[in-house]
Formats: sequence, structure tokens, C-alpha cells
Amino acid sequence: MSSSATDFLSRLTDVPVATRLAAAIDLMAQAFPTRTAIVEQAGSDQRRTIAYGLLAANVKAVEQQLAAQRPRGVVARQREIDALVATVAACGRQQVPLAVVADDSRDLVGALQNWAVLDDGLQLSAGPTGIGSHAEHRREEAFDPASAQVVVATSGTSGPPKLVEHSWDSLLAAARLSEQWHGLSWLLVYDATRWAGTQVWLQALLTAGTLVVPASRAPDCVARAIVEEDVSILPATPTLLRRLLTSAESGLLSKMKLERITLGGEATDAQLLAKTQAAFPGVKVTHVYATTELGEVFRVTDGRAGFPAEWLGKTLPGGVRLTTRRDGELLVQLSRDTAEVATGDLVERRNDRYEFTGRRSDVIVVGGAKVYPRRVEDILRGVSGIADARVYGLPSAITGELVAAQIVLADPLPAEATPESIRAAALTTCRTALEPHSTPRLLDFVKHLMVNTSGKIPRHSSRL
Amino acid sequence: MNASLLLAVRKAILTVLHDTGRSAQAVESDHLLASDIGLDSLDLAQAIVLLERELACDPFRSAGSSPTLRMRTVGDLVTLYEAALSPTAATLPPVLDH
Repeated sequence: MSSSATDFLSRLTDVPVATRLAAAIDLMAQAFPTRTAIVEQAGSDQRRTIAYGLLAANVKAVEQQLAAQRPRGVVARQREIDALVATVAACGRQQVPLAVVADDSRDLVGALQNWAVLDDGLQLSAGPTGIGSHAEHRREEAFDPASAQVVVATSGTSGPPKLVEHSWDSLLAAARLSEQWHGLSWLLVYDATRWAGTQVWLQALLTAGTLVVPASRAPDCVARAIVEEDVSILPATPTLLRRLLTSAESGLLSKMKLERITLGGEATDAQLLAKTQAAFPGVKVTHVYATTELGEVFRVTDGRAGFPAEWLGKTLPGGVRLTTRRDGELLVQLSRDTAEVATGDLVERRNDRYEFTGRRSDVIVVGGAKVYPRRVEDILRGVSGIADARVYGLPSAITGELVAAQIVLADPLPAEATPESIRAAALTTCRTALEPHSTPRLLDFVKHLMVNTSGKIPRHSSRL
Repeated sequence: MNASLLLAVRKAILTVLHDTGRSAQAVESDHLLASDIGLDSLDLAQAIVLLERELACDPFRSAGSSPTLRMRTVGDLVTLYEAALSPTAATLPPVLDH
């Protein structure tokens, strides 16, 4: 395998970046046409597999349509991952601009005048404004779809989703093409059309791997998919990992053969890292800091929360420079000739680390005082009998906002504990550890925390 | 004074006292919210949210009324809900931010 892996990698790195995905699929289709590229609906009775041979044929079919019609651009509107992969691979090799747009960002495609549409049937069709020819270039105000190679919608964690332009270089910049990553099995719990999701399936299919897509995000379904498909790499948000650890059948957890967990999308806390090491001894845990706009900025591999304090103010290998604003907002400069970007993420120095305290937009203001929901959540999660917690601001005519929390109880509850005793313990713990304005004034028990399509806990205030 | 509203207000205030680790005490309509019962603005904000859940009504969000001016006693609070829940309250501007 190692010599074939070396051969695969050298042939792949020889081709232009935009062509790489299609080339990787072709190489596998020629050498191992029946090998599984994608497992869909994993962990359920509807499980189905797509072999590299079939995937390569689908790429070719799309390419023929693109070559014949030369659309100005293609909006990929698939719900099925194999159709999405075929579209992205084909557009790359045919040099057709591409927009990968998630379900909830469909209204943004109005900006993509005269782009063609490809859905699950992989038949090129006209969009609402018809198909424009590649030749007619017209500059748009919001961005320039004529020169954009790949357009991805942001997750909207911190505002309404928006379209962001990327090049093939930036889309593939984080993919690791080395033997160490060859032929592995990856779990995709992210939305395949979002930045985080594209990074997972691109990495899997560029390295002769298998992509495993669970039928749902329910913890037991995800756990079954990991066990049944021998998944070795689990990319997830801390929220999704926490749910897996606290809610999946423990018998399934012990059967997992995970080698690596890559966390991203939200800040990771020390408690979760400790629980992860306890559940999966020896697993490597990496925390990736990335945004849709910037791509991957840095990764932390030492298994600790936050990042080393000495990284701040220094140019890191790769050219990234991190600084903070006076209020603790993290600023990122990707390289010397790019502008500094405010990330909206707040960091705070704790001993030899900078740890994430939350997003600037998540801050709850109670009577003029700031409350960082993450800090309150960390304290709640430390209470015996509490599996998970979400803290949010409730609008109040008197104090502006009020701190409220949703709590998921551990199952089973600790011996002798009742929901009422846990509620009382949670309030006492918060009163001891927090200022009065930071202590939750409403504690509700919920079965599950609401998780958005990006696998994160939504933060915006909600009333009751 | 509406007895069931007084009960609801009393229950909300007792929950606030309980949740914040204070002991239960008598809550009568002539008691001053701040100096007799010891409620601060956070306590009051919590009581309002609890009452909204109980009564499906938040008089503080009915634009046009300026309820904070006359809210010194438990009875003031009850009167406020009485007004907001009475049929004539329909003449108030509708609640906008649901």
C-alpha cells in the first residue's frame, strides 16, 4: 500500500490544483474501481455505498455537459453528497466557476446571475435567470462571480449567511496530501456544502479514503456509523463530540477505533478534552481554528484548550500572525501582504495559554455588565448530573437581558439525584462561582440542545 | 385586587427568593418590592419572565405604558398585570417583539 500511496501522491501533486479532486477520483477508479468512496446513510438500514468507479463515471458525465454548454458558472444544489462531489470535481477540471450553497442560503444565489444549476439528478439546467454563456462577463457589485472560482456560503454563526469567494488554492490549502493520511476512513457530520464540510470530504477523497456520512446526527446513529464503518478520523464540533460522549450508548463508544479527533467550529474546553481522553485513550485530538472567510488559520495538537501564549504577536510557521485588540478580540493576519482581520472571537490569557471565552456577538449584557455564556456553560457542565448546557440571553425590559440556561441531564442520573436536586446544585454552584448578574435566572431542562446545521449551538437570544 | 393574579405574583417572587438562596417570607400586596422583600432589578427581571410564562403576558413590553414609574409594591405589580390582561388592554399598542 505504501508504494502505491507514494505513487498516488506523486501523480496527484503533478496536476493543477483545480484538477486534483477529479484526478484523485480517476486514479482510484483505475486502480480500485470497486473500493468504497462514500458510505451514505451510515448507521441506518438505508446504508448505501458509492464505489470510486461509479463516482468517476458521474464526474465524466457532468464534465461532458459542462464541455458542451460552457455555462458561466454552476450552482451546486445537491442534497446527496456523491452528486455534490461529482459536480465539484467536474467544475474544477473544466474550469467552470462553482457555487456550493447550503439549503438555508439559497436566497443568496440571486447574486449569481445566469449561472446554471446542477441538482441530485446531475442534469445541467437553467437557473431562475437562465444560463449565461461563459463568454459574457459582467461585473457584479457584491462580488465578482466571473472571476470567482469557488463560492461558499458562511454558516451564519455570527450574522446572516453570506457568499464568500475562494480560489481552488484556498479551498485545498488545508488538505494534507501525505502517506500518513492515505486511505483512511472519515466521518462527515458537517453539512457537506459548508466550509467545514467541504474540508472533510475533500481531504477524504483526495487521499484515497472513505467518506462515511451518518444517516442523522443522533448520537446513537453517529456512534453506530463510526463502529460499523471502522471510522478512524472524526472531525466534529465540540458540541457534537460532547453529545456523542454523553448520549451515545456506552457499549458503542468502547467499540470505536478512532485514531484522531479534529475539533473545530467552536472553542474547546479542558473538560471536554479530559472526557475525550478518558473515553478514547490514546486518540490524538487536534483543534482547528478556521473561518469560512480565512480558511484554516492554525491548529493546536497538544491536547490542551486554547493555544500557547507565546504564539501571540509572533509570526507562526506559514506566515500567520495573531494579535488581540484591547478587549481581547483575536486578530488574524494570514500573511505579511494581507490585511488584519477581526475574528469576533474573544480570548483571555490563562497562565501559559490563551483560551477562547466566546464570540463577541455572544456576549450577554445584563444591566450593563458583560456575561460570557461559555464561562457559565463550563461551570454548569461541571455540576454532577448535568450532561450539557446552553446559556443565552433572554430580553428583559428591566435589565436589558437576563442570563438563561438550558440543561441536558445525564442519563442515568447519579445515585440519589433528582432533577430538582441537580437544579438546586447548579444554582448554588453558579452563585458561588459567578457574579450575581452572570448567574442564570432561568434554568430549563431539555432533552437535547438545539444544534444548528453547522453543528454548533445557536447563540442568538430567544424569548422563552 | 385580583386574587389569582396576587397568587401568581406571590409564587413568582417566592421562586426568585428560593432560586437565589434566600428564605421564603410573607408576600403581601402592600409590601415594598425593594425594601420589604429585598428584590433588586435582576430579581424583578426574573419575576417578570416567570410571570410571562405563567400568564402569557409581559406588561413591560406593551409599548405606550410606562409601568416602571408605579411599581413600588407587590400590589403595583398585580395592578400592572390586571391592566395588561383586561379586555381594555386591547387598546394598547400590540406587543411587537415576539
